[in-house]
Amino acid sequence: MTRFVKFIGGFAVAAALVLPMTAQADDKDVIDYRENVMKTLEAQTASLGMIASTQVPPDNLVQHTEAIALMAKAAKKSFEAKVLGGEAKPEVWANNADFTKKMDDFVAKTDILAKSAKTGGVPVVMEQMVDALTCKGCHDVYRNKK
Amino acid sequence: MTRLLQFAAGLAFAAVATLPATVHATDSTDVIDYRKNVMKSLSAASAGLNAILQGKAPAENLVLQAETLRIIATTALIAFEPNVEGGDSKPEVWAKWADFSAKMKAFEAGTADLAKAAKEGGVAAAQGKVQAALTCKGCHDVYRVPKK
Ligand code: HEC
Ligand code: HEC
Repeated sequence: MTRFVKFIGGFAVAAALVLPMTAQADDKDVIDYRENVMKTLEAQTASLGMIASTQVPPDNLVQHTEAIALMAKAAKKSFEAKVLGGEAKPEVWANNADFTKKMDDFVAKTDILAKSAKTGGVPVVMEQMVDALTCKGCHDVYRNKK
Repeated sequence: MTRLLQFAAGLAFAAVATLPATVHATDSTDVIDYRKNVMKSLSAASAGLNAILQGKAPAENLVLQAETLRIIATTALIAFEPNVEGGDSKPEVWAKWADFSAKMKAFEAGTADLAKAAKEGGVAAAQGKVQAALTCKGCHDVYRVPKK
């Protein structure tokens, strides 16, 4: 992508959302992005949890599991840049082989969960979700909760 | 907020074990919490997408991010279907349901268009669609109680 196109694109977005315009990812951008991915995961997991506990009707079951599976993939990529900070422990990069394995596992299991939601509906999701949503298992090791 | 959400999610999981699957314990707090969760997802997913379009996040995630936004957009209308006033929703959501749902459907169509452009034409194509897709403010100005 040329700098010119980036400029035009940045301008359109800035105009739409009144955001400052920068075309360079700095460390703060890297951290903000991975935290945004995590926030999306959190809100979608909470929505799925409400369906599983029958607090709301299950119409959006498949959609929530699909969004979680997609954001799991996005999460993996979002930690590739080695930028310490945010709530991430330095071990994310110091023990990167293990961290990546945990991410791969999360990606694989949430992918299966999304497929199960389509074919098996709520009962199958309820069976698999605790095992698929490995959030805590990773956070306990790699996140400094503030 | 984070703590509250995590608590809510934890509670939800706990309830999985204790509630029979057939009980629909939908009360008005649940309905409001659920639609707020959908909106929070939209907020985080669109911020992530904008970061990519501004060159601040990996372009490899463009399609994932645009697809996520599209999918979450399709969950929003149903979340408002129960006529439960409260939260930051104005009563007009239900008093003018035909207009509100038309706005939500236009938002769904716009984000679908954006996801398609992202898949077929990458960042440059998505940049051309993002303004038309993110109609958040157009709806909030009419149907959401302004923040204090
Ligand atoms: C393989 C590891 C891993 C998995 C799996 C994982 N996370 Fe995270 N998460 C992290 C790390 C590391 C951070 C700290 C990121 C930062 O602040 O730099 C984090 C941060 C967060 C945050 C805080 C974001 C903020 O606003 O600062 C939330 C919320 C969160 N995760 C939710 C979830 C949920 C929900 C799931 C499961 C559906 C999940 N995470 C799965 C590693 C993981
Ligand atoms: C067709 C209408 C409509 C569209 C489109 C829409 N919203 Fe909303 N949004 C609402 C309403 C109504 C509320 C108030 C919900 C409540 O509190 O009951 C709301 C609330 C919110 C909230 C506050 C949630 C909370 O925690 O209280 C956020 C954040 C939000 N929207 C973000 C977005 C973003 C970002 C988009 C676009 C990508 C968007 N919305 C698109 C109608 C809409």
